[in-house]
Amino acid sequence: MTSMVAGTSLVAELLGGPRPAEWKELREAAEARLADRDLPTTADEDWKYLDLKVLAGISFSPAPRAAVDISGYLLPEMVGTRQVFVNGHHAPHVSCASAVPAGVRFFPMSTASEACHALGSMGHGVEKGFFEDLNTVRFGDGAVILVPKNLKVALPLHLLFITKAETPAAVFPRVLVVLERGAELELVEEHHGAGTYLSAPVIEIRVAEGAILHHERVQRESPEAYHLGTLRAEVAKGAQYHSRTLSFGARLSRQQPWIRLAEGAQVTLDGLALLDTDQVADTHSFLHHAEPNSASHQLHKCIVDGKARAIFNGQVRVAPGAQGTDAKQQSRNLLLSEAARVDTKPQLEIYADDVKCSHGAAVGQLDPEELFYLQSRGLNADDARNLLTYGFAADVLTHIPVASLRRALRQLVLARTQAVSLGDLT
Amino acid sequence: MLSIKNLTASINGTPVLKGIDLEIKAGEIHAIMGPNGSGKSTLGKVLVGHPSYEVTGGEVLFEGQNLFDLEPDARARAGIFMGFQHPIEVPGVSNASFLRLAYNKKAEAEGREELDPLEFDDFIHEKIKLVAMKEEFLDRSLNEGFSGGEKKRNEILQMAVLEPKLAILDELDSGLDIDALRVLGDAVNRLQRADRALLIITHFPRILETIQPQFVHVLSGGRILKSAGKELALELEERGYDWVLEEAAAGGAR
Repeated sequence: MTSMVAGTSLVAELLGGPRPAEWKELREAAEARLADRDLPTTADEDWKYLDLKVLAGISFSPAPRAAVDISGYLLPEMVGTRQVFVNGHHAPHVSCASAVPAGVRFFPMSTASEACHALGSMGHGVEKGFFEDLNTVRFGDGAVILVPKNLKVALPLHLLFITKAETPAAVFPRVLVVLERGAELELVEEHHGAGTYLSAPVIEIRVAEGAILHHERVQRESPEAYHLGTLRAEVAKGAQYHSRTLSFGARLSRQQPWIRLAEGAQVTLDGLALLDTDQVADTHSFLHHAEPNSASHQLHKCIVDGKARAIFNGQVRVAPGAQGTDAKQQSRNLLLSEAARVDTKPQLEIYADDVKCSHGAAVGQLDPEELFYLQSRGLNADDARNLLTYGFAADVLTHIPVASLRRALRQLVLARTQAVSLGDLT
Repeated sequence: MLSIKNLTASINGTPVLKGIDLEIKAGEIHAIMGPNGSGKSTLGKVLVGHPSYEVTGGEVLFEGQNLFDLEPDARARAGIFMGFQHPIEVPGVSNASFLRLAYNKKAEAEGREELDPLEFDDFIHEKIKLVAMKEEFLDRSLNEGFSGGEKKRNEILQMAVLEPKLAILDELDSGLDIDALRVLGDAVNRLQRADRALLIITHFPRILETIQPQFVHVLSGGRILKSAGKELALELEERGYDWVLEEAAAGGAR
């Protein structure tokens, strides 16, 4: 009972205070929905394994503007194509969009509200999530990316969300990405931070007919952070959306991607979570094959050490009439300690008969045959173990198109898997 | 170099090797042949320390050292190499990184200088010519998505990188077409020297036309039934294995 009361006051607290004036209708609708809702609890089937009680004990307040040194986050391929948001506010002095090609619109929402009529429209008719609505009520600023018809953007765009919390803060990053017909883009979205804070980002994406979006998502929040993210993507006829979500940080995190595939759409939804100490990372994904002949490919990997816990719930729905659907899902998990834990649940709902759907879930330790093979080449047992652990994770990084990001993440994985002693494997 | 005396081994409590005796000297090439399920692959795996097998008796000395005192990785660093029939795939680790790591671990153990990525790049480009491997296979994950033949090519590349004293090649010819078999056979021949030895494990005599052994042993039921020169391989090609088994049975009855 205590937690209920505390939960209610948390919601009131998060909703209170001055708020931005734009998108009034959108915000009011979200607020009306929230009026009937509380913070999700483990009694909620969807939140069964992720206990948010810990949030109720923290008093979050809006994060003020702050100055940050971003030199450690810069990537050479994206020097002139970045927008930076600090504590939810756009940071013009450290942003630089000078290399963004003409025609592409890449700007903070606060400067261009008229372009954002699509905001809040992805996943129309689908129930909004608690943190999604919270974001809609509270978000201050965010990024808008619009790529016009048939424009293939050569340089990747970089979105940096940095939170610096002196006292517990709440931030609500918001992103809207629209690729018009035949457009192509690579987008890198990163979340970094320091201190105790709650970040509830909402990313909305529309990939129009024949367009292709590659989306790399890096979550490196502070170890005391709470990250509760929502992604809504609508992938139109013959369009492609390929995303990879890499979770390293946060005390507690949840990724909730929802993707609708139209006819012939192709989607990749890969994920990697590297967890240690008492981290909890939850992925609840929903792939909706709404029309015929679409394909989705999902590989979700977790390495869990210490007392950490990984949760995966992968829902795939093949709508009636969505014949020719090809859906592959794999959840693979490596447990490195006795106290580590994984809960994985594939959930297939198939309402069409001519489909190819496969799923698999594996939880375990390293394969003794693989260990032996490496040992037979002269690597001692520890080195072999570390190399395989590294490889298990690095597998998800292999096809990251931005070389410097790929290298940086491989270094991070090397360090986190005790494989550094093996030298430079990147 | 290698001295096997009355070696017995089992898997899950079932005896597979029932008393093997074999002497291999530096510079020699030996072939172990036999029907399927004879125990010939087991012999190779026991020598390199595969964890599924339990050694139940006998001894194996490698350059005077008791092999079973050494962990599998120490055996490799001591100079024993096995080319596997079914090499394992390791996603996420590039072939080149893995080869450099294996090379450097061995160099470290021998007190030789380790190679940095650039030096190794030059080194490995010479080696891949030997096995006619395409460069792209260096950047791909170790064995991942390689065809059967490409995996075998990669095994011999590893052998060329590690330059073992004793190489055990298990069913090298399986999954290889004739051209690839000739390329890899030639590569193995070029790696052979007076201070090295080869143990070829094979069901089919075909590979022994390229890699010509001085000694051929027929293994069946966990025992070596017959040992002779390379002419035995030709005879097996013509007559199959049954006559050796029958001869051994008759010999046993006498």
